[in-house]
Amino acid sequence: MNLWITLETGLREIAAHKFRSFLSMLGIVLGVSSLIATMSLTNGIERGTKAFMQQVGGLELVTVIGKEISAEMIEFANLSPGRTVQDARAIRASTPVVTEISPEINIGALLSSGPISQRMQVAGAWPDYFGVNRHEIEAGRFLTQLDVDRAAHSVVIGDSILKRFWPNLPAEDAVGRILTINQTPFKVVGVLKVYEREQDKRIREIVKARQQPTSSKSQNRWDPFRRKNESVIIPLSTMFFEYKSGQLPEDSLDSIRLDNLSFRVGDLDRFRETLSKVRNALNITHRGVDDFDLQTREEWFQGMEASISATRLSGGLIAAISLVVGGIGITNIMLASITERVREIGIRLAVGARGGDIFLQILVESVSVAFIGGIIGVAAGFGLIKLLIVIAPSENVPFVSLDSIVISVVFAIIAGVLSGIYPALRASRLDPISALRYE
Amino acid sequence: MALVLLENVVKSYRIGDQEIRALDGINLRIDEGEFIAIIGPSGSGKSTLMHLLGCLDTPSSGRMQLFGRDLTSARADTLAQVRNKEIGFVFQSFNLLPKIDVVRNIELPLLYSGIPAAERRKRAIEVAESVGLGARLGNRPTQLSGGQCQRVAIARALVNRPRIIFGDEPTGNLDSATGEMVLQMFRDLHAAGRTVVLVTHDPDVAAVTKRVIEIRDGKVRREYNP
Repeated sequence: MNLWITLETGLREIAAHKFRSFLSMLGIVLGVSSLIATMSLTNGIERGTKAFMQQVGGLELVTVIGKEISAEMIEFANLSPGRTVQDARAIRASTPVVTEISPEINIGALLSSGPISQRMQVAGAWPDYFGVNRHEIEAGRFLTQLDVDRAAHSVVIGDSILKRFWPNLPAEDAVGRILTINQTPFKVVGVLKVYEREQDKRIREIVKARQQPTSSKSQNRWDPFRRKNESVIIPLSTMFFEYKSGQLPEDSLDSIRLDNLSFRVGDLDRFRETLSKVRNALNITHRGVDDFDLQTREEWFQGMEASISATRLSGGLIAAISLVVGGIGITNIMLASITERVREIGIRLAVGARGGDIFLQILVESVSVAFIGGIIGVAAGFGLIKLLIVIAPSENVPFVSLDSIVISVVFAIIAGVLSGIYPALRASRLDPISALRYE
Repeated sequence: MALVLLENVVKSYRIGDQEIRALDGINLRIDEGEFIAIIGPSGSGKSTLMHLLGCLDTPSSGRMQLFGRDLTSARADTLAQVRNKEIGFVFQSFNLLPKIDVVRNIELPLLYSGIPAAERRKRAIEVAESVGLGARLGNRPTQLSGGQCQRVAIARALVNRPRIIFGDEPTGNLDSATGEMVLQMFRDLHAAGRTVVLVTHDPDVAAVTKRVIEIRDGKVRREYNP
């Protein structure tokens, strides 16, 4: 008996018992839809996380952090000047693999322009700051070495600052305006790009196209780029001379303690080697006192990836369990259906069907049930995702990849095959004589 | 030429500790073109005999040769093939598939012999017309009378051009007029040169055949020509 006829017979049988077939499919529908949903959710999380990792500087970014001094070195704590600009220079000199290095001093300061005032975090930095923190310019320019050398009163602001102080001004026109920081006037030399997630960008573009005011809903949500958009950056030298000098008589630009010191490793293949060179350089500037450490994103990123794969695994496990349950459902109903059709099988055997023909017929039927269930499950999965987006809006929009559809349907088919084998085997082993007599 | 040759065939079943001999040393030869009745009361072993002759079962001992092949210890798949190609069955309770229409019921044996769809359909319609069901092709068995059902069953038995046709109490579920009509069909098949074996307990049915084999307690009790 050829496969086409077998398939047709199977589909007729399924169509003849629509409700029963639907019930037997239900488990597969649930399994496949939850598989699709979890895969799409983790896809979304993964994509969002990857984008976030890139935006925050990627793996290449290393931060020099302060560390509690170990007990045996505690006596010598005063020898170490802490993290200073000297460290930045030492790191730069130690290896060419460090492409950019950014020392930072941060203060909270009152920003004002005209009638508007607000307290904000202000960073004093080198021009490398922009590269290290993956900033992009929207209008004007970044700070330059000349700004630092001359301790210029130049400031580069983020998009949120622009919106706060000059709400209706395009970025180009804000360049050249004056922003006072703790009463000292600074000239805005550059405005940074808006940093946002893909989905926010799309929403913004749609809103812009419709000429509607921005909905407040999206602004209230946690935004990983908020701090980046609130950047206010002035030259490190200016920061020192205006706001940090004169506090202690021995302070100088070279000895003042930094609030942050980050650098970027240009070649990830030489990451470890570079870190150890940097460590050596810093041991000298810190005079052997172990009051610093190098913080890489490796563990953080690995942690994120691990939690993504854990989510994926647990979701997959739940889906797998429902697929198994669905398979058992099919087995159950196929067994019942065979009992109901013993006589039909007897007739087929009497007119010359072989055991193999009957086996194939039952198997094809259960695979068809599973396949149809899988297709319905894919559709239900799409629905489930739509529902999830509505009831639990997430930072990371789930998206259905072709892979996840193919994988889910393949799993459904495998479940169909496995659940059909036993009933098919039972059916194919029926004795024609007793099957014909069966009432 | 002998279509069927049974030599000292025994068929026994175990029920608990007891061994029951349904057939106890049967010798039988059926030639091409014969019209035979196997007759006997219920429990005589005539059904068991028909199951053997119809390749639904194999003997416990003895020798069974059908169509020149020794099938004494044939495998299930071999038997299925022989049933499919050489044997047509007509049952008392018709044994049609209720969910498919007349043509598909008649086609059924052809599904298992690898004949292409167009050819299957053509042959099924031909046979259906030859038994007078040309107008009923699209009906389901449930929409037909008993006589029509049995004609579908006969058409199904004929569609594979078998060398031997078995009727197992073919008139058992029919009223006497319809039964008579069905018997006439078997008579016509015989007249057309086919080998027909009817299994019955009814002497009136046996009387239409040319040779009657009476089975009693698993043995051939007597043989006569009506």
